[in-house]
Amino acid sequence: MKTVNSKLRTLSSAQWTAGSTPPAPVPGFIISSFSALAADVADRCLAERYGTAPAPAERGERTAVLLVSPGGDRGTAQAVAELVDNGGRLSPLLFFQSVPNSIAGRITAHWGLTGPVVCTSPAGDPFEDAAELAELLVADGDADEVLVLVVEQTPAGESERATAVLLGAV
Amino acid sequence: MAEPTARPVLVTGMDVVTGSGRGTTALAEAVFTGTAAFVPVDRFDTGARRAKLGAQLADVSDLLTELTGVVDGACTAAGLTAADRAATPLLFAGSSDRAAARPDGRDRAELAAGAIGARLAAATGLRQALRSYTTACVAASTAAADAAAMIAAGRADRVVVAAGYLLEADRFALFDSARALASDGRMRPFGAGRKGMLLGDAVAAVVLESEASAAGRSAVPLARLTGWGRAGDAHHVSQPHPQGTGLARAIGLALRRAGLAPGEVDYVNAHGTGTPASDLAESAALHRALGPDAARVPLSSSKSVHGHTLEAAGLVELAVSVLTLTEGRLPVNAGRPEPDPACPVALVTEPRTAATRHVLSLNSAFGGANTALLVSA
Repeated sequence: MKTVNSKLRTLSSAQWTAGSTPPAPVPGFIISSFSALAADVADRCLAERYGTAPAPAERGERTAVLLVSPGGDRGTAQAVAELVDNGGRLSPLLFFQSVPNSIAGRITAHWGLTGPVVCTSPAGDPFEDAAELAELLVADGDADEVLVLVVEQTPAGESERATAVLLGAV
Repeated sequence: MAEPTARPVLVTGMDVVTGSGRGTTALAEAVFTGTAAFVPVDRFDTGARRAKLGAQLADVSDLLTELTGVVDGACTAAGLTAADRAATPLLFAGSSDRAAARPDGRDRAELAAGAIGARLAAATGLRQALRSYTTACVAASTAAADAAAMIAAGRADRVVVAAGYLLEADRFALFDSARALASDGRMRPFGAGRKGMLLGDAVAAVVLESEASAAGRSAVPLARLTGWGRAGDAHHVSQPHPQGTGLARAIGLALRRAGLAPGEVDYVNAHGTGTPASDLAESAALHRALGPDAARVPLSSSKSVHGHTLEAAGLVELAVSVLTLTEGRLPVNAGRPEPDPACPVALVTEPRTAATRHVLSLNSAFGGANTALLVSA
């Protein structure tokens, strides 16, 4: 499986591939698997590093979250599109989960990570771009460690995958 | 830790299209007179929605065409040649095309946000799009911060940052469903009884570059991007930390990079969405970061004029901040707000002139994402 190759040090990692045990739903998030995938790999990656939440304060306050996803939360976008096009009533929950940084808020609140929160859709390879941006964030000084999450939902949801890598300064 | 920037970052060109009109002159006239651009939205059916207004510009084209126009405009204003463009990367802020969520668009990879950035770079002769930022209301300000970081560190000599959001039915419906839109049609950030925000059209582009890069063309800078900071709340999926802790740290990082004290900030262009919790948190963040100066420094949310432009917000408001410096006028917080004692800030509610040297531009988003940019004369 592809992962993030960075000049930074890999401190811990976790992956989810299609066919694995479905990730546990995240309370408050509905319909789409996007947020559950992100939270699943994030929690396992951080648990490998820190055991239980929260992260030590001196680490958490210097840890960024970088959520990279080529197509974003397709499940939520498709649910909204169907409701809008058919005159259905939208649940406010769809609003609260309609941007990728929402689940980053759940992850950062749970683990006490108060560094930058950044979400991107790469123009090229998501893993290569994640590595480049993580290195920039650390070099620029707003974080010492970056929790990189790469979440890929396919149009029909048939081959979803998610990767988490905690990167730290060498 | 964030250190004072050794390599200055200049703004040498910019262009915008907003609900207030086409170009920076139209935007300046609107924000400095407090003339709100809100009209009944007729681009799509709002019959089932509580809110009906938005800062909608008539006769807009599709997003990519509009983005191409402002990137061309910003590059022309900066005096870039075709060869200069071909050496310049793009950072784009925006979301996937809503057509990607429809059955006949689901397999069209070119509709993803990252691909839109790549198509924009190709259409405007830029070297390449590095990525698209999708962090909602801090997408564009984060892109600007990252572009500045690249230039300050010598990783790039010049970067074009572009961002866009045009009013459409999906997000209008989402915001309306959660009662985030001002159903009374009045967007009045930091005012008592505020009911929420109104959305707006915007595409914007800025050219950021090093002094050496600008000097090579004898380009005259509009302003300098002297400080930037990004920090999280670690608090909630959608609510800001009530004490504005993440935003306060972002402000502190920006001040540190700029080498400025709180008392040297002359004006704050606030995120100011007009939602009760967000404005309260932003006021708290300002007091936490600036101390007693928070109650003194003139502040307004230009969203009260051009609306909340979502992924484009940070770049439109960066343009407003530059205009504040170059025009010597302060943006007006429109909407005739009554003071809210819970938000003790020095709101600019009437047109006024002021010689400003340093402007602080703030943005916050779901997930507790916060940014601060410092723009200096």
